[in-house]
Amino acid sequence: MDKIYNDFTINVATANGTGSQSANLIILHSLFEMGVPVSGKNLFPSNISGLPTWFIIRASDRGYQAPGDETNIQIVMNKDTWEKDLASLDPGTIIIYNEDAKLPVDRDDCICLGMPMTTMARGISPKMARLMANMYYVGGIAHLLGIEEDSIASAVEQQFRGKENAISMNLQAISEARSYASENWGDVSRYSVQSREKSDETFLIEGNEATALGCIYGGINMLSWYPITPSSSLAESIIKWIPKLRQGEDGGSTCAVVQAEDELAAAGMVLGAGWAGGRGMTCTSGPGISLMSEFIGLFYFSEVPGVIWDINRTGPSTGLPTRTQQGDLAMCYEASHGDTQHIVLIPGTVDECFEFGWRAFDYAERFQTLVFGFGDLDLGMNRWSTSGFVYPDQDMDRGKVIRTQKEMDAIPNFGRYRDVDGDGIAHRTLPGSGLAPILYRGTGHDEDGIYSEDPQVYYEAMQRLKRKIDGSRDILPAPVIREEDEGDVGIIFYGSMENSIVEIDDLLEERGLSVSTCRVRALPYHSEVEQFIERHDRVVVMEINRDGQLYGILRKELPSHLIPKVHSVAYSDGLPPKAREYANRVFEVLEG
Amino acid sequence: MVKLNVLNLEKSEYKGGKSSLCPGCGHDQISNIIIQAAWENGIKPEGIAKMSGIGCSSKTPAYFLAKSHGFNTVHGRMPSVTTGANMVNKDLSFIAVSGDGDTASIGIGQFIHAIRRNLDMVYIIENNGVYGLTKGQYSATVEKGSKKKKGTANEQAPIDLCAMAVNLGCTFVARSFSGSKKQLTALLRAAMSHRGMAIIDVISPCVTFANNDESYRSYNYVKSNDEVLHIVDYIPHFSPLSEVEVPEGEFSDISLFDGSTLRLETVSDDHDPRDAVAALRAIHEATQDGRHVTGLLYYNPDQPTATDTLGLTQTPLMGLSEDELRPSPESLEEVNAGFRAR
Repeated sequence: MDKIYNDFTINVATANGTGSQSANLIILHSLFEMGVPVSGKNLFPSNISGLPTWFIIRASDRGYQAPGDETNIQIVMNKDTWEKDLASLDPGTIIIYNEDAKLPVDRDDCICLGMPMTTMARGISPKMARLMANMYYVGGIAHLLGIEEDSIASAVEQQFRGKENAISMNLQAISEARSYASENWGDVSRYSVQSREKSDETFLIEGNEATALGCIYGGINMLSWYPITPSSSLAESIIKWIPKLRQGEDGGSTCAVVQAEDELAAAGMVLGAGWAGGRGMTCTSGPGISLMSEFIGLFYFSEVPGVIWDINRTGPSTGLPTRTQQGDLAMCYEASHGDTQHIVLIPGTVDECFEFGWRAFDYAERFQTLVFGFGDLDLGMNRWSTSGFVYPDQDMDRGKVIRTQKEMDAIPNFGRYRDVDGDGIAHRTLPGSGLAPILYRGTGHDEDGIYSEDPQVYYEAMQRLKRKIDGSRDILPAPVIREEDEGDVGIIFYGSMENSIVEIDDLLEERGLSVSTCRVRALPYHSEVEQFIERHDRVVVMEINRDGQLYGILRKELPSHLIPKVHSVAYSDGLPPKAREYANRVFEVLEG
Repeated sequence: MVKLNVLNLEKSEYKGGKSSLCPGCGHDQISNIIIQAAWENGIKPEGIAKMSGIGCSSKTPAYFLAKSHGFNTVHGRMPSVTTGANMVNKDLSFIAVSGDGDTASIGIGQFIHAIRRNLDMVYIIENNGVYGLTKGQYSATVEKGSKKKKGTANEQAPIDLCAMAVNLGCTFVARSFSGSKKQLTALLRAAMSHRGMAIIDVISPCVTFANNDESYRSYNYVKSNDEVLHIVDYIPHFSPLSEVEVPEGEFSDISLFDGSTLRLETVSDDHDPRDAVAALRAIHEATQDGRHVTGLLYYNPDQPTATDTLGLTQTPLMGLSEDELRPSPESLEEVNAGFRAR
């Protein structure tokens, strides 16, 4: 049999809370140990125990990380989804199933491999049989693909770090399963793994943890948060890492953490911290941004620095709380009533999660405004590869803060909101300093911060704010452009779609379409984005939402002669983007 | 000769801008008392942060302490902004003004949680029972049966913010009246000497919409229905207690965080402000009789504040240097190495 090496998709169907996550991560990490380029996606329900959950493992020497468009190996453990899981498979798929489920596997066109997983697990530990049963499909997979025993052992040790008993029981289960599969299944798999040279530098990490570390290196000193999926692990990672990385000389903490009563209060605390000279941050998801919008307008209008990370989930309303989307982009960009505009940083990799984690504070203080970090569940809660985080290459930018009378005296005609430098950014002083105190307010104010309803004063204040945010365009992260010489088609995308773009690009190439790509990394968008559009005859904006939110922003802000060549491919079903889905739609749009 | 306080500052150093409230508004009297109390206590104006939400009362920080920074935030959200500022600068003295709409309706959640955290602040509620800026709608604190100038009497039960605060374990709970200058000044000075959440619910008549005799919060009504718990006298830490004249009748002294004393002279029955049940009884009995009980209702000192419980480093966090805020390059190498070793 001709083998297909390092190019397959495994789908594991289990129920939430049955311990399958450990088994899935062991498969993922053992492949990673062998140097096989691999990615894992957890499709979990909004539930603690009982509802169906799927874990998708994609191995690809070409570095494809999107969930594969078809499943090559299906593991069925969940009685509730059994029938549907089996029905959806293409002929020839390998099916590994738990015989103890005592449910039919009527797929003669597939390779059906059963194992009495629960019975075997009972032999090791009657009490733990339900949890341990999962390790038997790990053993089955290890046999079929030929995963090295050392890699399995290392992955198990990592998973159950320090728990010797758990390590030995699980290793025994996997070993039993491997023997069973070898004796009863034989060599039936076309799919196999081959070791690749693994860089010693690389490791897998969730985007939320990467962001958390970035925030700590960015000097966060006030974290307020209200638990919400999928952002909670960002806050919890900060809480976990702060004591290890950021103790004061007296052993006290250098970051205050407040679990707020709601998202509204969380945003208010960030505002208070920023006003008082701190680096405040909160993290949330779409429903939280809706609540925070009241304060977001106050940030903008009173010009207080702060950072909010929005880890997008599927909206609208409560939506699909455990599924992914890029559904909040337009909201973040213009959140709150009246004319507003906010800086949005959009990482596409875990390295950028770290980098934008620290940079967000610098931009917030430099531009004296709210800065959004824009992530999503896929990037935030799944594990992605990095070769290590890079230390900030710039000192902290604390912005135009007047800290002494001497600095104050050097500014002609000081006013809290007077633009003396022509960049729209005025100087500020901090409470406690005694320097030029004012009563900050969300009401109309003149250049000295005094209440005003004067039409000209209001008009000019709003024009200055526009100028200030507009001035951030080419200072914020530039887009990442991959340009083809002969390409007349350009694709614009952003965020976690970075993980699907290589495959989409290859699929288009296979069908004869060579495209350049431009990954937008911040709003307001960089001037290079406009130049990219200028250089191409047709441009497709690809994103994970229904309405084409970045497309809408571009249509609003681009010069009118560029608008006719910009098209939208927007699609969202709650799942991470599948490459073929988008490639097909790109053709539809271009042909239409 | 101009009078100076312990910092050698004139009272004018504590004044603010011109009020734009209705002439005779109780809130303006409270602003004057804030100026008086801060001056008499000798607090550095630059060390104070003035906080407020939205409403007639929340406009007043513009009318006192012009040398202090302040934030007139959004409706009902002043406590969260104060919390954030307190987290990064615990050395600031927060003096906040809110109203009954701002606190008892839209902001009741943040009010409750600020108490729960024992946020180190003075929280003054200028409580008139109506929404003034939107022209006189009833608020949630107005008594059942009370009637404003226009419209019908209020039919709904009131929210008593002091009773709520006592139940939540607030560490300093007082009620007063904007017309009782001596009592309010002493209570406010004591609140400024307290460490933790100090709430003063001040009945402050709305002269425009609810100063008619059928209103339970009109000047006339409050004056004739004020049930004074005790005579309060504030003795600052910088004037020796031994030099203060001892009252003839019964009294008890409360020691405050900064070494000052609040002397409570018994009026009729003795009220022990350490007794939460007594405080609640006093509130409920007065309410039943259509009266307002005033004085120091409840005092529970030495409780950890919001920042105490977090184990923060001594330096206010906003004052930390870049070296203290950004871990070293070596530490990041260790973080990376740790992940690689997994």
